[in-house]
Amino acid sequence: MEKKVYEVFRQERDGKPFVHSGNVEAPDDALALQYAREMFGRRGESFRLWVVLRDAVLELSDRDLLSPALDRSFRTVQGYRLRDKLAAAQGREAGT
Amino acid sequence: MSESAVPLLLSLADDELVLGYRDSEWTGIAPMLEEDVATSSISQDEIGHAKALYEIVREITGAGVDDLAYGREPREYRCCWLVERPRHDWAFTIARRFLYETADDVRTEALVASSFEPLAGLMRKVRREEKYHLMHVSAWLDRLSESGEARPRLESALALAWPDALTFWEEIEGEDEFLAGGCLPAPSPELRRRWLERVERELAARGLDMPRAAGPEPPTGRGGARTGDFEPFWLEMTETYRLEPGATW
Repeated sequence: MEKKVYEVFRQERDGKPFVHSGNVEAPDDALALQYAREMFGRRGESFRLWVVLRDAVLELSDRDLLSPALDRSFRTVQGYRLRDKLAAAQGREAGT
Repeated sequence: MSESAVPLLLSLADDELVLGYRDSEWTGIAPMLEEDVATSSISQDEIGHAKALYEIVREITGAGVDDLAYGREPREYRCCWLVERPRHDWAFTIARRFLYETADDVRTEALVASSFEPLAGLMRKVRREEKYHLMHVSAWLDRLSESGEARPRLESALALAWPDALTFWEEIEGEDEFLAGGCLPAPSPELRRRWLERVERELAARGLDMPRAAGPEPPTGRGGARTGDFEPFWLEMTETYRLEPGATW
């Protein structure tokens, strides 16, 4: 029996983001949905499931694109020491 | 009226218990890991439905749920012959579940309108789970009816299960009485007619022939006559219970 891998994403409550939960192997789409329900939904833990053929997922993992080689800290908020400024602002607020 | 409902309740409960137990024999050896989980889970659902039905019987007669499930003699069970047969191969398990789930769907659909409210209320809940059982068996029927090795196996399995499937619709003891009271909203022959239509439609959609064999004569299971397959099955199912009846687990 030819089996395919389906990735399963679970939404815990209506409106919440979908979170990758794992995968199931199934011979077709109909059984994939049912197996996803058994593995990730039968205890009432899911509001909705997305079941996606793994082959349909586009993956990007190129480190050159995802982990820049040069120091870019000047472009992120890590460049600022916010804690002291925040404490000072809160002190002023409390003093008024 | 409720006392007269006991044979009906036991027929419903015993079907679910025995089929649940039979299908649970696939736990650990189903064709795929995912299917192993699904089959085991569905079997537990069926046993859960049996438990809820035995609880209604307990309200009427005071009998314990475990005693009803495991403490009766073989001739006291009211299940149909279809469910007590061995699981055979996967094709037989699917063929049997297709015939059973379709029959159970027709029966529970009618019982939602039962005048006996505890039963009608339970059937409304049970049908939400049975919807999934029907989807599951229908997906498998699709797969096995495709060409290849599976199709002839499925055809043989349907033929093998057919005469026993007809015993599902045998008249239940005291049926006239609980029909008159509205406990069972439609007589067994009428429900059987609806089931035959459904089965014929589902099989035709997959290019499968309707089996034609007749049911066993004289009629059987609902009255307590058991097949030779029942006793070894019953000995295994009740083994732990019989070690010490009445024990608190």
